Amino acid sequence: MGERFDLPQGTLDLLILRVVALQPMHGWAISERLHEVSHATLTIPQGSLYPALHRLERRGWIEAEWGESENNRRAKFYRLTASGRQQLARETAAWKKLTTAVELVLAMR
Amino acid sequence: MHRIASELRYRLRALLRNGEMEAELDDELRFHLDRHAEKLMAAGLPRREAERQARIAFGGVARIKEDARAAWGLALFETTLQDLRCTVRALRKRRDLTFGIVATLALGIGANATMFGIVDRLLVRAPATMLDPERVHRVYLHTSPDGEAATDRNLAFPRYLDVARGTSSFDVVAAFQTRQVGVGEGATLREVPVTVASAAFFDLFAARPALGRFFTAAEDVVPEGSPVVVLGHAFWQSHFGGRRDVLGQPLRVDRLTATIVGVAPEGFVGMADQGVPAAYVPITAFAHSLRGPDYAGGYGWSWLELVARRKPGVPLATAEADLTQALGRSWRAAAEQDPGWGSAEDARPRGELAPVHVQRGPDATADSRVATWIAGVALVALLVACANVANLLLARAHGRRREIAMRIALGVSRGRLLRHLAMESLVLALLGGGAGLLLAEWGGGALRRLFLPEEAAAVVLADGRTLLFAGGLTLLVALLTGLLPILHSRRTDLADAFRAGMGEGQDRRSRASAGLLVLQTTLSVLLLVGAGLFVRSLHNLLSLRLGYDVDPVLFAAANPRGVELSDAETAGLNRRLLAAAQAMPGVRSAALAASVPFWSNEGRGLWVEGIDEVGKRGSFVLQAATPGYFETLGTRILRGRAFDERDGERSPRVVVVSDGMARALWPGRDPLGRCLRIGEPDAPCTTVIGIAEHVRSRDLFDAREHSYTIPASQYGSPMYPQLFVRAEGDAAALVEPLRRRLQREMPGAAYVRVLTLRSLVDPNLRAWRFGAVMFTAFGGLTLALAAIGLYSLLEVSAARRRRELGVRVALGASTRDVVRLIVTHGLRLVLLGVALGGALALWAAPSLESLMVHESVRDPLVYGVVAALLLAAALLASIAPAWRALRLDPTLALRAD
Repeated sequence: MGERFDLPQGTLDLLILRVVALQPMHGWAISERLHEVSHATLTIPQGSLYPALHRLERRGWIEAEWGESENNRRAKFYRLTASGRQQLARETAAWKKLTTAVELVLAMR
Repeated sequence: MHRIASELRYRLRALLRNGEMEAELDDELRFHLDRHAEKLMAAGLPRREAERQARIAFGGVARIKEDARAAWGLALFETTLQDLRCTVRALRKRRDLTFGIVATLALGIGANATMFGIVDRLLVRAPATMLDPERVHRVYLHTSPDGEAATDRNLAFPRYLDVARGTSSFDVVAAFQTRQVGVGEGATLREVPVTVASAAFFDLFAARPALGRFFTAAEDVVPEGSPVVVLGHAFWQSHFGGRRDVLGQPLRVDRLTATIVGVAPEGFVGMADQGVPAAYVPITAFAHSLRGPDYAGGYGWSWLELVARRKPGVPLATAEADLTQALGRSWRAAAEQDPGWGSAEDARPRGELAPVHVQRGPDATADSRVATWIAGVALVALLVACANVANLLLARAHGRRREIAMRIALGVSRGRLLRHLAMESLVLALLGGGAGLLLAEWGGGALRRLFLPEEAAAVVLADGRTLLFAGGLTLLVALLTGLLPILHSRRTDLADAFRAGMGEGQDRRSRASAGLLVLQTTLSVLLLVGAGLFVRSLHNLLSLRLGYDVDPVLFAAANPRGVELSDAETAGLNRRLLAAAQAMPGVRSAALAASVPFWSNEGRGLWVEGIDEVGKRGSFVLQAATPGYFETLGTRILRGRAFDERDGERSPRVVVVSDGMARALWPGRDPLGRCLRIGEPDAPCTTVIGIAEHVRSRDLFDAREHSYTIPASQYGSPMYPQLFVRAEGDAAALVEPLRRRLQREMPGAAYVRVLTLRSLVDPNLRAWRFGAVMFTAFGGLTLALAAIGLYSLLEVSAARRRRELGVRVALGASTRDVVRLIVTHGLRLVLLGVALGGALALWAAPSLESLMVHESVRDPLVYGVVAALLLAAALLASIAPAWRALRLDPTLALRAD
């Protein structure tokens, strides 16, 4: 395990939308997936996921449904909605623009 | 849009199914912890260690739950709820204050809601279910025969046909008249408003019959139409119990026996200006039953109102020109029939298309203007009430200054504090608004009946427009009363608030209070001046000698209602009615009469030697009466004599003319013994035998209106059976016994109605009576509010200056000095308000000019009394604070701080 970063403000929403875009997932699976995909670089207190999930649900970008988990228990699954998909596209584009800009500045001579 | 809706749904669920959301949150978090612990256990950790590590990785559960709840979007709601609870607690703690504020606002908002409903119906709102009301007009006929401009809304039946057939700008031309007639028979007979209408009348509305059908054009044809009747919904309910089998049943409407063919829908009231019609009958059928076939050809009976709807796209001016053309042709047709109409060139008939509301037409009465004024007055009174409430809230906010500063220091956001203050005014305004609406619903009925006698159904709570208005007003009140305290506390300076003694916030607060007080005084002066002017006008009006006594006199009229009487039978009925009335206990005297003030007047052509056209010297009302008429009405004979039994049918013709008539016809000469030719230019001489005082019988203010009285025996035909009765005592108490006694003399279905003369005259005074009462009520209210405001201001300022006063007394200030200090403080503010209000009133008063009766809008007496009243109130409000200041013990005062 290398260095670990705290998440920049506001990016948690983007990451959740991206992960949920793959398939409907419950909270724990989302947290595990974030952990894995980032090669354990991003430290996200697992609990802080939930206020974000509820906020996204209120906004109508994801919707929740109770279903059966892989270990046969009732779990709340989140799925990306149509407007969530648009939001994901918008935020991804914005993020890319930001990182490109930052890289350009860093790359100057 | 969709996103907002889905978010709203989510928040609503969070709000309403909060328990469910909480349980789900618990389940969700527990699942996460279990699942993570499971994973750690799979990696080989013992259960307890795995659970511990899962909790650490998760973070503080309570905190996360709190954050999740915040994500539900309920934070605003919850703090609002908290504010609300806090506000309610605070308001309950000061019950007296809260009650005072709510009652003040309720009075203000209730009065405004009531007046809004009245003015809206008088001037703005179209009759219920009317289609395209902006294209619908009332038709007026302007003429200038004899060089005198005249405006007419009531036109003859052939005139209606001339307009309907002679114009092309309208898609509907309808005629109607709403009149009080007897409906039903025997015991169920009631005199109720009935709308006599052309079939096209119903085309003006979108209404569909509740039962059956409306009558059609085929049932409304000259000469006698079809005897059909459509019931009004309310009448159907009250008299037929809403039974569906009424269709096909006969119903007696005045002289017409008609078949019920339909029932109008609920809420349909036709043109809604002379009562809620109990029934609708075709013009032709009704007119034929009343007057035979002559109604359709003669232009003499002007009884119908015309309503026309412009075709879409036809401009008003074009339609009006079209109408004027048609009326011109109509006039020539009438003149051909009877040269008495005068030539069209002379009369210059001109049509006017006025709005649907009579009160916006050229012959509007003073009622609508007075109602509009009072609506304005109610608004001003509400403003004064707001100023008072703002002042009270300001005082409270100031009293809580330290508490507020403390809360700011403890980290409560200012926004939150402001919301809290705003909540307080909002709750008070809402309570006031709610109570006000109830007040308007139950207490406003009397006011509505005064201005809208026709709309018994005019309600408040069931009326969307009034509710909307009251709601808007309530929010405005919340804003006005909340603004000042909020602005004040926005500027609360922490250090300043904590500092002991008098900070500078005090001065700012009392400056704001003083400003409000000057405003209140100004507005009170304005309203009280208005009240004074109306009271004086009403007084002048009441002391106006009408030329007869109003209060002791009753009026009885028989309605033969289809019973055909020969001349001899009519004469016999008249004799019996007169004898029965004269023999009644409680009756001093009685007389038959042809004309009744403000009810019906007769006129005949007059010819006098040496005068070209008598009509140019004024308008002359013919009265014919039996001997005893002048005593019965109390009309004074100024010179000569009244006629008596000696002046019979065959005796020389005699007449008593009014004083004004004598002066108009024989200026500067002795009128007694002069010759008047009545009815025909070559009629025999009628000799003037007496001069009576001036009588007002059509218009209270028209000085050109005169009257002359001839004996009934020389009237030429039997008199219509109607009579005046002078009561010994209370006239109103005699109405019912007299009616019952006279009814016994009536043949067949004929009936008699009895009214007090007061009830005929009073509607003409109603605008002023009402103006005087309402201006005085609101003026008094604002004066009381201003006095209370001044009292509390002086109280607070005296309390604040206790130390200063203490020092002054200790240094030897006399009683007089201390009292002067307090009193002049209040007096200065009130004087400023009186000056401002007086100036404002002088500036605004000329717009009241047209409503004044023998009263100058600059009457110094009124202004003087109002100023004195306010100064007296100021002194009264200063007494208690000054008294308290006097009893001040300097040592105590100095020690207190």
